Amino acid sequence: MATMIPSIGEKRGKQIVYTIEECLGCGEKNKRTFTVGDYVFKQNGQCKKCSGNILITMIYAEPIKPTQ
Amino acid sequence: MLPLQLGPGQFGDNTLYLLLFYLPFLLFLFYGQRIQAFMILGEVSRALGKLKIMREKSRKEVIDYLVNHLKPKSDPQEQVDQLLEYFTIMPVDLDPSGIVRKIEHVVTVRNDRIRSEIRRLAPETDLVKVSTAENILEAASSINYIYKLVRHFYLLGKRTSNIYILVQLQMIMPMILQEADALVNALEAFKLSQPIGDGIGPMVVGRMMLNHEKMDISKDTVMVKSEYKDRNLYLIKAVGPGGNVGEPGTAVERLISELGVKINSIIMIDAALKLEGEKTGEVAEGVGAAIGGIGVDRFKIEEVATKMNIPLYAVVIKQSLIDAISVMRKEIAEAAEKVTKIVYRLVEEKTQPNDNVLIVGVGNTLGVAQ
Repeated sequence: MATMIPSIGEKRGKQIVYTIEECLGCGEKNKRTFTVGDYVFKQNGQCKKCSGNILITMIYAEPIKPTQ
Repeated sequence: MLPLQLGPGQFGDNTLYLLLFYLPFLLFLFYGQRIQAFMILGEVSRALGKLKIMREKSRKEVIDYLVNHLKPKSDPQEQVDQLLEYFTIMPVDLDPSGIVRKIEHVVTVRNDRIRSEIRRLAPETDLVKVSTAENILEAASSINYIYKLVRHFYLLGKRTSNIYILVQLQMIMPMILQEADALVNALEAFKLSQPIGDGIGPMVVGRMMLNHEKMDISKDTVMVKSEYKDRNLYLIKAVGPGGNVGEPGTAVERLISELGVKINSIIMIDAALKLEGEKTGEVAEGVGAAIGGIGVDRFKIEEVATKMNIPLYAVVIKQSLIDAISVMRKEIAEAAEKVTKIVYRLVEEKTQPNDNVLIVGVGNTLGVAQ
């Protein structure tokens, strides 16, 4: 039954896709908006602090929060 | 005070009032079903209109992607229309013995044919763009099929004035529209090669594969051999960052049967469709082959695991249908760390030092490398 009628889910509103980069040397994380050509586990340059390799570790979507 | 009882006494001999009072009853008695059918037809017709818009939009997205990214030498419109109407005849199941191999054969031929048609449009395009085009085409093809199926039942119900067909269509229409909407949303993720919810399994295994030498184990599928606490880990996932699902069933079968690796445990990681009320990104453990699709890969893995008496452990990440085919949500992406910890715990608890453990990340690896 569960596999026949699974949750289709709620319609998603507007969202922003973020790319999370992580330095393999110092562990510094950076969150920025997604750009075309990004993919998870892509080597993306060097860290400004420790010159370690930067790796994209996550790409995910977050809903846009309404401004107060 | 107004009289509550109506009848000849209140209206006197005025038969016009009588007729006006009883006419709706008579109308609904004899034509009630037709009126209901008319109203349902209107509702289904509006939904059909929405589906038609979605179909046109998805068709346009396919053509736009091909023109902008694959840069074909000729106009791809005619070929896209042909591919959208592509069909697959499943093998006859009157004698089910050996049907899985037949299904596998038919599906492989279908996939190869579609890939070759896309490559024919743009022979010099890289494989990532071809697999992305395949994904977009598949979503557009599904929307096209949904539209045609709904239109079929709508016209059938209308022509035969069969209210029962129309009522059934009306009842499932909200779910059909939601599913079609999810497919339209998926097009956006496919177009930009962004990871989708279904890619969480390959994402977990992809991280374990980093900095290790990869080898091709089956079509669009890679394997890595690594170590963890004196255990040999065999890691399998589809080749990323293109939109592939690979052939994990063939990969597992080949590793165990052809390459003769004695596997002590299999751990499978996959996205699972949640039930209403369950949280997105929730992680659950279980046993069995965690893999969806048409059933060929699951059959192969279950077959070889049963034959060799290998325990199958499953770790799933719950998500809705929309989440599975849209850009990965934060909750799902953040579940990767938890899943990794569970996988390593399973390796420690369920296996002994020097054991061979097979870990399979199942799902579409779009936007996820290794």
